[in-house]
Amino acid sequence: MTLQPDDFWSFSEWLLRPESFLESALLQGVVLLAFATLVGLLVAYLVSAVRYGPSEGFYAVARGVRDLFRDDLPGTSPRRIFALARLAYKEAIRRKVLVVVALFLVGLLFAGWYLDPRSSDPARLYISFVLTSTNYLILLLALFISAFSLPADIKNRTIYTIVTKPVRATEIVLGRMLGFVGVGTLMLVPMGLASYFFVVRGLRHTHEVVDIKDLGDGRFSGKLSYDQFHEHTFTLEATGDTDGSVLEGVTDYVRGHRHIVRKVGDRYVIGEPTGALRARVPSYGELSFTDRSGNLDVKGIDIGAEKGRGDYGSAGIARLVGVSREARRMEFGYVEGGTLGSAIYAFKDVTPQRYPDADGIPMEMALRAFRTIKGDIVSGLSGSITMRNPDNPKIESTPINFVVQEYDVSEERLPRQIEGTDGDQIRTLDLFQDLVTPDGRLDVILRCIDRQQYLGATSSSVYLRPAESSFAWNLFKSYFSIWLQMVMVIAFGVMFSTFLSGPVAMVATFVCVLLGFTAERIYDIRYYLDKGEAMGGGPIESLVRLVRQDSMTTDLDVDAIAAKLIKGVDSVLVYTLDVIATSLPNLPKMLSTAEYAASGFDIFGSLLARHAVATAGYVFAAFLIGYFFLKTREIAA
Amino acid sequence: MAIDSSVTSVLPDTAKSTALPASGVVIETRNLSKVYRDFWGRRKVAALKSLDIEVRQGEIFGLLGPNGSGKSTTIKLILGLLFPTSGRVLVFDQDATETRKNERIGYLPEESYLYKFLTTDETLDFYGRLFDLSTEDRKRRIDELVEMVGLQGARHRQLREYSKGMTRRVGLAQALINNPDLILLDEPTTGLDPIGSRDMKDLILSLRDQGKTVLLCSHQLSDVQDVCDRVAILHQGELKELGRVSELLKVQDVTEVHARGLSEAAKQEIAEVIRRHGGQVESIDNPTTTMEELFLNIVRESERRPGARRVASEGGNATGAAAANAEVGR
Repeated sequence: MTLQPDDFWSFSEWLLRPESFLESALLQGVVLLAFATLVGLLVAYLVSAVRYGPSEGFYAVARGVRDLFRDDLPGTSPRRIFALARLAYKEAIRRKVLVVVALFLVGLLFAGWYLDPRSSDPARLYISFVLTSTNYLILLLALFISAFSLPADIKNRTIYTIVTKPVRATEIVLGRMLGFVGVGTLMLVPMGLASYFFVVRGLRHTHEVVDIKDLGDGRFSGKLSYDQFHEHTFTLEATGDTDGSVLEGVTDYVRGHRHIVRKVGDRYVIGEPTGALRARVPSYGELSFTDRSGNLDVKGIDIGAEKGRGDYGSAGIARLVGVSREARRMEFGYVEGGTLGSAIYAFKDVTPQRYPDADGIPMEMALRAFRTIKGDIVSGLSGSITMRNPDNPKIESTPINFVVQEYDVSEERLPRQIEGTDGDQIRTLDLFQDLVTPDGRLDVILRCIDRQQYLGATSSSVYLRPAESSFAWNLFKSYFSIWLQMVMVIAFGVMFSTFLSGPVAMVATFVCVLLGFTAERIYDIRYYLDKGEAMGGGPIESLVRLVRQDSMTTDLDVDAIAAKLIKGVDSVLVYTLDVIATSLPNLPKMLSTAEYAASGFDIFGSLLARHAVATAGYVFAAFLIGYFFLKTREIAA
Repeated sequence: MAIDSSVTSVLPDTAKSTALPASGVVIETRNLSKVYRDFWGRRKVAALKSLDIEVRQGEIFGLLGPNGSGKSTTIKLILGLLFPTSGRVLVFDQDATETRKNERIGYLPEESYLYKFLTTDETLDFYGRLFDLSTEDRKRRIDELVEMVGLQGARHRQLREYSKGMTRRVGLAQALINNPDLILLDEPTTGLDPIGSRDMKDLILSLRDQGKTVLLCSHQLSDVQDVCDRVAILHQGELKELGRVSELLKVQDVTEVHARGLSEAAKQEIAEVIRRHGGQVESIDNPTTTMEELFLNIVRESERRPGARRVASEGGNATGAAAANAEVGR
């Protein structure tokens, strides 16, 4: 899993962006709300001006705003909201939506057949499967129940008996949202529990000892049977605290897990698979590079094609004031082998309290390799790890060599005691005494040893692992993220259903959700337009190119006036889409939190907090819009 | 028995401002007009044209008219379900779109638009929660209303299983859950059998006797005649007639005399006297009863004495006529 720069932001950093406030979420939220309010007032005025005439229309809008603040918001009663929520809840339950949970459970029963048992990482497969299926199922369900309920009430006129009671539009909108969130929660809980047991039980298996060899020195080495399409090897050692009849050992890691093997008397006890379901809590460092002559460099070497596309990040409201930004990419910088080039990770908070393990500090690496020659194809690219005192660069450990394991996370340990240089003298350095500064900073330097080969690193490639969170808790956080998405979809569904018919409201909500997925493309197109880069142009230009089968890098081969017209219309379209994409919730980002759990990483609290706050903001906006539409609607018309 | 109208009188009055406008006018429409438009704002139909009516406190006011005359539109405008194209509606001296007025209003829609997936208890509990009622008050009121509309035996059944008449009764109960000062009834007797219909009318009268104001609209003329103090007759969105029922229906130049035990000769003599005074005898006849009376008498009789009823010889109707005679003689 590769993290984007904005994934590292703390909550306050995301909210305020101290260095570039224009890109801050707070500003974006406030401006979006203000913008929505302004557009809302304008549209309301136009509609009522048509209906009642220009001056009466103004008073009608003013009355609407006054009513909201004078009567409807203060008059909103939790008791009535709760009563309406209960109604929405009962409606959904009595319409038997819980059948979906049953379907999900049945689906799980059969899913085991179809999940590839030969997968190299079954845990990832299982977790991705349950999270993705729950996510889409719940969002689909949220879409249906939220978009159809209110229009059905209006059509069946059951709403008459509600609005003729002292019920305010605020209460109807909030009541619906709350009720459906209740239903969704009720469904998510059993689905989450079932998922947990499905993953845990699905991965559980055992082996038998098929081969055992006495190594002579009291140790044994052996092999486990070929089950579940894999086998393990292991060694056994005396445990020490017994009379020697109990031996213990662990197997090697295969498919992300290993077993503990115990020999009690003549009997072998093979433990459950461990290590497959993890929730690593990483501690990331600040990454910088040095070029081949050892000078500091920010980005490392760009090898072009190897730069992958990642998630997108919006530049927030900065986009609206003309700051154009390419969709964010994951930035792998590369280090040239056999030179002074290096990747330097500056870690913070490296203290004995956080890393109490006597074996050293656990460090994990997910690096990339880029080869310009075939080289040694058997043993893989080799690199070295050096620890250095950030305050006194003369104190440096001797390099620890490693082999790059691409597409995999390799675990290393930074030892507590290591040979190293302190100025001119060579001595044994203590990690916390000599290499780590008193305030807990440590530099870790990665180099590539093989000449003409390159080592790729990004901020999330190397991290210290101070702790391990529990898998169950991590899964719970994934489900919380799904829950947030559900709340968002419900809020949009209810909002649209206050003024659209059921099917149309559903489609509108769906489009809002989908547009988030295309935002990255839209950002790119705008970026190219702003830069004047020939990348095929906007929608109309690219359509023309498609039909004429023109390459996207050539000039548009039409006459000058037509070209001007096409480009003009295109830029209006692209800028409009850009504004819409910036305004809509970033659902894909929220969907991708499942990736954390699947890859075995603890989901950052700050990430969830960001999603939660953004969701709350959109729910509030949806509530206001829904309120105004319902309030100004002739229910009986 | 279905609707026990006496029960409402024991309903506790919730602590709410029962202060009525000094004028005693509960509903006032001023030059009220409604034009329905299509999606593009084009004029489709003028449903109501410059309606001016006043409904005073403590009266039963009937809106009368054929289908499409604007009765329902008027009620919906009064409730704020529709917005007037021009003119105003004031309910308790507040604008009709004001939510707070609903605290004192009960509304029985034309068909009972209720949630079919709820039971009677749940329905009343839900509507009760929309008002400022304490839990005990709400529970007590639900019990009383269920008893009043005679649904004790069906409290825990979902409304989808109900007959039209039963749904109607739940609808009525929900309209009265807040012990309203103003009750709007849209076609109150549709879907009810003659007994239910009579009970409904009795209930309406008893509500009036408790000082409540009732506005009903109907095209069942007999209903209107039976209960309304004043009526407004609408046709094609225009007010055609407005006044007290007793006055509107009085045929000024015809005199009616009811008497019992007169011989044929006496009748002849009376006719003679009328002629002598320059009057014109239109008919001297035995009065007939209404179908409603006949039906109700048969049912009452049957309740007193269950079993098959001996049908009188064709053309004669002992029970009906006797009851009618008793009625006329009262």
